[in-house]
Amino acid sequence: MSYETTATELIELLGLKGSPVAVKLAKTADDVPAGYAKVEKSRHCQFVQDARLKGAAGYATADEHQCKGGAGVMGIGPLPEHLANGSTYHKLGNFKTAEGALETVAAMPKSTEKFYASVYAPLETAAFEPDVVVIVATPRQALRLTQASLHAHGGRVSSDYSGIQSICADAVVAVIQRGVPNMTLGCNGSRKNSGIAEDEVILGIPPAHLDGIVEALKIFKEKWG
Amino acid sequence: MAKTVSALGIKAPNASILADNVVKHLDDPAETVVFLLSPGAEEGMEAVAGKHGYTLEITSAENHTEARMTPTGSTMEEIDVSGDFCPGPVITVGTILATLPVGERLKVTSTSADSIADIAAAVESSGSKVVKQGADGEKHYLIAEKAEKQESSQAVVARDRVLIAQSNGIGNAERAYATFLFAKAAQSMGKEVTVFLLMDGVSMARQGNAAVVKHPAFDRLDHLMDEVIRGGATVYACEMSAKFRGIGQADLVDGVRLAGAATYIQLLSDPANAVVNF
Repeated sequence: MSYETTATELIELLGLKGSPVAVKLAKTADDVPAGYAKVEKSRHCQFVQDARLKGAAGYATADEHQCKGGAGVMGIGPLPEHLANGSTYHKLGNFKTAEGALETVAAMPKSTEKFYASVYAPLETAAFEPDVVVIVATPRQALRLTQASLHAHGGRVSSDYSGIQSICADAVVAVIQRGVPNMTLGCNGSRKNSGIAEDEVILGIPPAHLDGIVEALKIFKEKWG
Repeated sequence: MAKTVSALGIKAPNASILADNVVKHLDDPAETVVFLLSPGAEEGMEAVAGKHGYTLEITSAENHTEARMTPTGSTMEEIDVSGDFCPGPVITVGTILATLPVGERLKVTSTSADSIADIAAAVESSGSKVVKQGADGEKHYLIAEKAEKQESSQAVVARDRVLIAQSNGIGNAERAYATFLFAKAAQSMGKEVTVFLLMDGVSMARQGNAAVVKHPAFDRLDHLMDEVIRGGATVYACEMSAKFRGIGQADLVDGVRLAGAATYIQLLSDPANAVVNF
């Protein structure tokens, strides 16, 4: 399925900087779209940023994922013990107690399946059906996306995050598992290493929700300008 | 099919807001959804279930609470194994559970409490869960829930393989049957099975021999052997014992291979194998 029109409309209606990013977790090597090459070693959040801002497309196996925490929560390789038990985050000062760190990492969304690789592309050129679409947005753009996601059925949004492992656990794994959008405020890694800006937040959106969101954004545009 | 959504760490009322959104956007509204919650976060779940026409069941596990929302009026698969001989009920339940998606439930009833207790042990050994067990009038019952078998940590050896050593052959029909009935029961519990026939045990594998053995309550022995082999069991016949009896590979039934002492010792030495002797 092509998301070219959807992506173009999202970018225009929201005034996004860069592209929404299509992310897929590939079960096997055969599940990687044809023509996609391995990316250079880096972090999941950087792969997302490269697709968003540079139009880069490719896939990353465990070897290409330098952030083993990000890869681990997505099921691409094991989650290192020092991250799984929270000791790293306790030492880094994120948590006052080891128990608090453990409680946080235990509650963090983690893939229950094993995957071979993560695949990235700007949504408008993605040659695969994404599992999730990651949008880096300003708070105002995030507001519009939130309003748009509630437009059809109403209700409230519940976004959850813990300030660690954001673009991997919060914007990818949580969204795939739940089938509903989630917003996250990023983490030290994504802000420092991957250039998520001070005035940007991150949303993960199930692809099936995109048409409804675009439709609502068009109505908002007409009514609110 | 049941969808499991982890909402651990999310407190009330946000957990119920998330649950409302998840249920609202389910691909299949007839799907059961299980929310894994931090204790106390179940507040508000009843309202969510009621709003969407689901029946709510809250259960507490060691470190979390499960809120299971099932479309009201949906029925669970049921089976009555009253009157079946051991290990028939275990095999029947194991076979059905193997076909169910993770999260789906099966109610098993029997007039025999012992049979239900045996099935409960088999269900838990296979990695699934017994969520309820009790009696209802004359009948005993359990409700089993299909779960993914958890991988053990590296420090613990998973004894998920069974090695059955058989040295009696068809001269002792009871032991001959026990070999393959236990093998079927183990297979139905998700175990990997290897049968090693040695000494008189190899006589069972000679073409035609098992066909003359019939237990009054079970299928013919050769049929039972064939089912176990087709079910994925590896069956070896001891090469030395076979030679003593003038049996070669060509004399053996399909699916049985000759193997030497080293194979047997290696199987015995593997800590993942639980060994049963007949």
